[in-house]
Amino acid sequence: MHELSIRNLSKSFAGSPALADVSLDLRGGEIHALMGENGAGKSTLIRILAGVETADALELEKDGRRLPLANAKNAYDAGFRFIHQELNIVPQLSAAENILLGLPYPSRFGIAVNWKELNTRARNALSRLGIDHIEPARQAARFNTGDQMLIKIASCLVDAEGMTADLYVFDEPTAALTGEESEKLFRVIAGLKESGAAVLYVSHRINEVMRLCDRVTVLRDGRNALTAPISRTGKEEIIIAMTGRSVEDMYPPRSRAIGAAVAYAASGVSTKEVSGLEFELRAGEILGVAGLANAGQSGVLRTVMGLSEPRQGRLECLSGAAPKSPSEAWKSGIAYIPRERRGEGLMLQMPVRDNAVLPHLDTLRRLAFLADRRGEQAMAHKTSEYVRLKAAGLSQPAYQLSGGNQQKVLFARALGKTPSILVLDEPTRGVDIGAKYDIYALVRELSEAGCAVVMTSTDLSETLGMCDRVLLMRDGAQQAIVDAAGLTPADLLRRIYAS
Amino acid sequence: MIRILKLYGTLIGFALIIVLFSVLLPGTFLTSGNLINISQQISMLAVVAFTMTIVMVMNDFDLSVGSMASLAGVTAAVLFSLGYPVYVGVAAALLVGLLGGVFNGVLVSLVGILPFVATLGTLTMFSGLAFLVSGGRTIFGRDIPSEFSGFARSGVPLDSVGLDGLKLPFLSLVALVVLAVVWFVLEQTTYGRRLYAIGGNKEAARLAGVRVKSLRLSAFALTGLGAAIAGLMYSSRVASANPTQGSGLMLDAIAAVFLGMTMSEEGEPRVQHTLVGVLILGVLDNGLTQLAVDSYIREIMVGAIVITAVAFSSITKQGR
Amino acid sequence: MFVAGTIARTFTALVLFTGVAMAQNVTVVTPYLAQPGTQMYVEGFQAEAADKGWNVNVIDTAGDVAAVISRIEDAVTQKVDAIVINVDPAQIAAGLETAAAASIPVIGMDSGADPLVATNVTSNGYAMAAETAVYVANRIEGKGRVVMFVFDAFPPVQIRGVIADAVFGNFPDIEVIDRITPDVQDGGIADSRAKMEAILAANPEPGSISAVWAAWDQPALGSLQAIEDAGRADEGIVIVGIDANPQARDAIAAGGNFEASIAQDFIGIGKATANAVSRAISGEEIREKVIYVPTVLVTKSNVDK
Repeated sequence: MHELSIRNLSKSFAGSPALADVSLDLRGGEIHALMGENGAGKSTLIRILAGVETADALELEKDGRRLPLANAKNAYDAGFRFIHQELNIVPQLSAAENILLGLPYPSRFGIAVNWKELNTRARNALSRLGIDHIEPARQAARFNTGDQMLIKIASCLVDAEGMTADLYVFDEPTAALTGEESEKLFRVIAGLKESGAAVLYVSHRINEVMRLCDRVTVLRDGRNALTAPISRTGKEEIIIAMTGRSVEDMYPPRSRAIGAAVAYAASGVSTKEVSGLEFELRAGEILGVAGLANAGQSGVLRTVMGLSEPRQGRLECLSGAAPKSPSEAWKSGIAYIPRERRGEGLMLQMPVRDNAVLPHLDTLRRLAFLADRRGEQAMAHKTSEYVRLKAAGLSQPAYQLSGGNQQKVLFARALGKTPSILVLDEPTRGVDIGAKYDIYALVRELSEAGCAVVMTSTDLSETLGMCDRVLLMRDGAQQAIVDAAGLTPADLLRRIYAS
Repeated sequence: MIRILKLYGTLIGFALIIVLFSVLLPGTFLTSGNLINISQQISMLAVVAFTMTIVMVMNDFDLSVGSMASLAGVTAAVLFSLGYPVYVGVAAALLVGLLGGVFNGVLVSLVGILPFVATLGTLTMFSGLAFLVSGGRTIFGRDIPSEFSGFARSGVPLDSVGLDGLKLPFLSLVALVVLAVVWFVLEQTTYGRRLYAIGGNKEAARLAGVRVKSLRLSAFALTGLGAAIAGLMYSSRVASANPTQGSGLMLDAIAAVFLGMTMSEEGEPRVQHTLVGVLILGVLDNGLTQLAVDSYIREIMVGAIVITAVAFSSITKQGR
Repeated sequence: MFVAGTIARTFTALVLFTGVAMAQNVTVVTPYLAQPGTQMYVEGFQAEAADKGWNVNVIDTAGDVAAVISRIEDAVTQKVDAIVINVDPAQIAAGLETAAAASIPVIGMDSGADPLVATNVTSNGYAMAAETAVYVANRIEGKGRVVMFVFDAFPPVQIRGVIADAVFGNFPDIEVIDRITPDVQDGGIADSRAKMEAILAANPEPGSISAVWAAWDQPALGSLQAIEDAGRADEGIVIVGIDANPQARDAIAAGGNFEASIAQDFIGIGKATANAVSRAISGEEIREKVIYVPTVLVTKSNVDK
C-alpha cells in the first residue's frame, strides 16, 4: 500500500494565489475525489502533480520519502499517470498503437514492427482492465468516445520495463461519455483500486463521486474547504463546501403553465440521422431528448436547426416555414448551443463580444452593410450581463475563460435577439456547479417567458429536473414521449432501456 | 515587456531596418524621392497581399494569384493588340480576375477541395491560359497603348506639399485605394466580421448562422479581382505583358501577410499589418540594392527575416 | 545573427564605396542571371571592368521584370555612373526614363535596341538562325520534313524562329511539320524531350522526320535524347541548335545526330559591353545602336577548339 502526502502546496500566478497551503493525502486502494468549482485550483493542482507547472511551495512525500517534482519525467518516474478529459488519441492509428504510443514498439530484427506482439501486449493491457470488447488492431477512429477513453487508460497501464504506476489521476473523465460508457469506466477504476493503486478522481458530477469514491477533498478559492469520507458526507455538505452557499434546490421549479401555441412540429420526419420524429413543441415548454449513447439525440436537435434535411415528413415552425439551414434558423428566432463548445461553438481566439453577437450582425448593421461596433458592444454587454458572465471584459478572447463562462458566452449569443425556440445540446457539459445553477435558472426564466426549449443531457436528473416531457430515442428512431413529472432518473433509465 | 516585444517585435525590427539604411545610405535612402520610388516599387505586391489577406482571414490560401496576375495582364494586352480601347481591355482583365476568383471559390467552398490543392490546380490552369491567350509571346511595343503604359509613369504632382518636381505615382495611389477598400471591408462591414468568424472556427460560424459557403466563395472572388488589378498594374509598369510576369508575386504576398500576422495579439491577419509586411519586403529590396548587396544574399536575408519574425512571435506567444 | 550579417556586409560595401571613391560605379541588372549565357556575359564584363578599376554591382531579379525597373530606380538614386541591362528595353521603359532624366547612360548587353539605350551589344541573331537553318537545308538536300523548336516570348529567340521560317519557306520541298514552344521552367531539355517523343510516336515511319531545328541548344539536346531512346538514331535525322553550350559541344563531338550549333562569344559580348560603357561614361555619343560580336558555326570538325 502506497501513501502519497501533499503538504503546504502553494502556487500563485502573477501575484494572485491559485493554491494556498493545500494538503491532500492519497492512499493505495482508495479512490479520492477532488472537487471544486472552476477556478478553485483543481487544474493547477493536477498540472503541478504532472510536473507541467512548478509549485511555489510543496512538500511531497511518498511512503515517508521526499519526492522531487520538477518536470514531467519526475512525475512519470514517481508512478503518476494522467487521464484527461481532452482525448489525446491519434485517430489514424490502431487501438494497439495508441496504447503503446511513446514506447518502443516490439520489432522483428530491430527494424520491422512486430504487429502480432504489439497487439498481444495491447490486449494484455486491456484485459488487465477487464476490457475484452476492444479489438487492438482496429483503427482508433472507429471506436466511440467511451472506448477511446478506455484505450487511453490502457495506454497508461503499459509501462516501460520495471515501471509501475501508483497513482492514476482522472480529470473529468466522464465529461464526454454517455451513461453506459461511464459505467464501463467506473468498473475499470474500481479494478485499479483493487489492484492497490491510488486514484485521484476529479469531477463536477456529484452523483458519480458519491457512488464511486471513498473520500472527497473539496477546494474553494485555492484552499482546502473539506476533506471527509464519502460514507459520512452528504451531497448538500459537498455542495456547500464547493459553492460556499446553501442550495435549496438544484432545479428551479416551473411556476407557470405551458401555453397552447405550438412553436415547432414534426410529423413523420426522417432524415439521414433520425427517423420517425413525431412531436409538437409548445411555446414555454422544455422538451428533453434522451437515449443511450449516439441514439440520435443530437440528430433531433440538428433537424430543428435545419442542419439535417428531412427526407420525408413535414416540419413546421410557428414563425413560418421550417428553416433549412442554420442561418435561416437564427433568422426565424431559433437559437442553438451546439454540443462541442470548442469545436462547434466558439471562435476561441476571438473576443467575447464578437462571439456573442455573431448571429445578430444583420440586425445590428447600419446602411445595410456597415458593422455597428457600438451596437455590437451594447448587445454583448446586455446579454453577457444577463447570463452573469464572468470575464475580464468583452474584449477578452474566449479561450481564456473557464468552461462555464465559455458556455455562458454561447448563452449570451443565443439571447442577442429574444429566441422563440432554444436548442440546447448538452448545455451544462463540463461546466462547474455554480455556472450550472445560473444556466438552469436562465433556461427556466426563458421558458417561462414563452420560449420553447428542446434540450439533450446525459445527466438524467438534469433532464428530469428541467424538462416537462422527454422524447426517447433508440438507434436514431423516436420511441416515445413521456411526461417528466414524477419520474426518477432510475425510472427514466428503465424507460430508455425498455423503449 | 514580453507583451510589448511579442506585439511590436516586427514593427521594432522594421524601424531598425529603416534606421540602419538611413545611417548606411546617407542622403539617398531617407529622401522623399526614394520613398516615393519604394511606394511605387511595392505597389503591385501590396495589392496582391492586401487582397490575399481577405482569404487568409478565413484561414484559407490562394496560390493562384501570381498566374492570375499574368493572365489578367496578357488578356488586356491581347485585346489592346486587337485594337480594342483601353477601358475594354482593363474591364475584361478585371472580369477575368473576378471569374477566376469565383472559380477558386466554387472549388473551395462548394466542391470542398482544400484551398491549397484547389488553387495549386488553378495556378497551373491560369498559367496555361495565359500562355494560350498570349500564344506564349511577350506583347509589347506598339500593341500597348501609350495611355495604358503612361498610367504607371504618371502621378499626382506633389509641388503643393513642398516636394517640388516629385509626384505621387498613380500605382502607389491605386495600392492606397485598395488598402482603404480592403480595410473598410474587413474591419468596418458585417461582411468582414463574418469572415473573421469563419477564420476563428468555420463550423462554429456555420452553426451560428453564418453562410460560410457563399462568403468563402465571394472572398476568393475578391482575391482574384485583386490579383487582376495587380496584373494590370504590372503590365502598365513594364509596358508589356507576358504569360509568366506575375509568378513572383504569390510567395511574397503570402510572406507579407505572415509577417503582418506576427503583429496581432491572436495571430489573425489584419490588412494594416499586411502593409507593414509589404513595406519590410520592399524597403529591404530597395536598401540592399543601394548597398550593392549580392542578389542571392538578399534573397537569403529576406527569407531569414520572415522566418525570424514568425519564429519570434510564435516563441513569445507559446508562453501563455 | 542576421542583423550582424547585414552590418558586416554593409560595412564591406561602405568600405568599398569610400575606399575607392574615385572609381566608377556600374550596376548590372538582369532577370536572367541563372542562365549560363548571361553568366558568361557578366563574367566577361566583370573581367574587363576589373581592368578598368570599376565597382560593379550585379543584380539578379530572378525573372521579375518589374523588379528590374525598381532596381534601376534604386541605382539612379545611388547616382551610379552607368547601368547595364540584360532584358528587353521595351518592358522597362519606366526605368530607362528615370535613368535618362538623371543623365545616367544605359547600355544593353544582349538586350534589344531602344532609343533610350545608348547601344546594345549582341550577337547577330538573324545571322545565327540563317546559318543553322541553311546548314539543315543543305544537309537534307533541300527536301524533307523538319521539326522546329522556338520560343517567341523572348524577343532575341523569337527573331531566330522568324529567320528559320523564312529559310525553310524558301525551299519548296521542305515541310515544317511542327513548330513547338517547349515549357522552359525545367531548363527546356526535359519538356522538349517529351514533346519530341510525342512527335516521333506520331511519325513512326523511318525517314518521316528529316531534321530538328532548335532555336537554342536545350531543345536540340532533348530531341537528341528522344531520338536515341526511340532507337531511331540511325535514320539520319539532323539536329542543330544555337549557342553551342558545353553539353551541346559534347553531343556534337560524339558524332551523333546533333551535328551543329552556333557559338556566340558571350565573354566577348561582356567585354564589348564594358568597352561600350567606358565610351558612354566618357561622354561619347555612340552612333551604332547595335554592336555585333562575331559568332562561329560549331561542327564536329572544329568542336575541340
